[in-house]
Amino acid sequence: MRRRAGVGAIQKHKLEQEKYKDKGNEIQENQFEQMTKQLEVFKVNLEEFASKHKNEIRKNPEFRRQFQEMCASIGVDPLSSGKGFWSVLGIGDFYYEIAIQIVEVCLATNDKNGGLIGLDELRTRLIKARGQSKQHQEISKDDLLRAAQKLKIFGSGFNVVPMGKGKYMVQSVPGELSMDHSAILQQAEKNQAFISVSYLRRELNWEIERSQKALDHMVDQGLAWIDLQNPQERLYYIPSLFAPVLMLPVNLFFIHYLI
Amino acid sequence: MSEVEIDWPWQYSFPPFFTLQPHPETRHKQVAAWKSLILAYCQKTKTYIIDVREATQFSLFNNSAINRKLEHNVIVSILSELQKTGNAAAVDKAKNRWEIYWHTLEEWASMIYEYVSNSGMQNTVLTLYELVHGENSNGEEFNGMQQEVLLKVLKVLERERKCEVIVEDDMQGAKFF
Repeated sequence: MRRRAGVGAIQKHKLEQEKYKDKGNEIQENQFEQMTKQLEVFKVNLEEFASKHKNEIRKNPEFRRQFQEMCASIGVDPLSSGKGFWSVLGIGDFYYEIAIQIVEVCLATNDKNGGLIGLDELRTRLIKARGQSKQHQEISKDDLLRAAQKLKIFGSGFNVVPMGKGKYMVQSVPGELSMDHSAILQQAEKNQAFISVSYLRRELNWEIERSQKALDHMVDQGLAWIDLQNPQERLYYIPSLFAPVLMLPVNLFFIHYLI
Repeated sequence: MSEVEIDWPWQYSFPPFFTLQPHPETRHKQVAAWKSLILAYCQKTKTYIIDVREATQFSLFNNSAINRKLEHNVIVSILSELQKTGNAAAVDKAKNRWEIYWHTLEEWASMIYEYVSNSGMQNTVLTLYELVHGENSNGEEFNGMQQEVLLKVLKVLERERKCEVIVEDDMQGAKFF
């Protein structure tokens, strides 16, 4: 006959469990402390590294990208910390300067491209306006993307539109662009800046309604122009992808706030 | 019409530029670009009169390289926009014939008046032919000006009491004060 567990046994079991739990907590706390310490050390080292290589970070885009990645891995965002150590370093300022210049390029080209510009064109124009010296020239697409991302805080007015295959467009007019719109831009880019309903049907297998809706939206956003003089069907042109627009000179010259 | 080298803007090779755009903001940009292109073209080719019925003869409204033309009613609406700023005027009621003023009549008036006073020809009667075809005005922008346009310019000066248009039999002239 089985003996039923007495009150004493239950209490003993409970006590044991609590002890285990305490021990567990203790270990966890230890580990956490350890990790915090390690992170702290890493952070200090990173800061040391950053200040030691301050100039390198500023001048060399590849260095800058790797440094950003290191920061990201420990959850430090040198762009968002305007105070303390990082502000002394001026990394944030560097990107703020780029961000302002992105806005200026977007504004200056707006009447030609309707507020949509390819990252390559943006980079060419920005670098040109930054002037001759080498350190002003070395701005990578990665720098531009990081800076442009920061502009999102101003609301829907600024947006980075991924186009696939490492290509991006920067949109500087309010209005959401969906996946369909990015797909249309991608198609237009490889087709001399224009597309049509039947083209999208052929390339993407889209229903007429889907294409029409997306194309109408882009016309409504001022991003696409309609051409009614093609004998076969209505064509939609994206001025920001039209080759002669990319070559246009724009009067822009940046004053350097830094360095 | 003799063709001179035109510095065509990018829009001229952009096919939808020849279709009036439905989106208001885009259309605004489009019309503005057309307005300045028309004025630049007329200035370069010294075109004072455009007959919209013959518009396809102007390379301005007809880009054969991309096979695009600007429609009759679109041309009229853009010219009407130019009229608002004093840069064009319909000559007939049907709005087929248009005078184009890349300088407004007032601007032309002060240019001509300045020329006359600089060359000390006040208080003498000049024939209209002399004024715009004479050797003296050879380097002036108004050289070769269409007679109808010239008369309108002189009317401006008349209102300012700076000149008087004199018509005698088959001779038209003006006296400047």
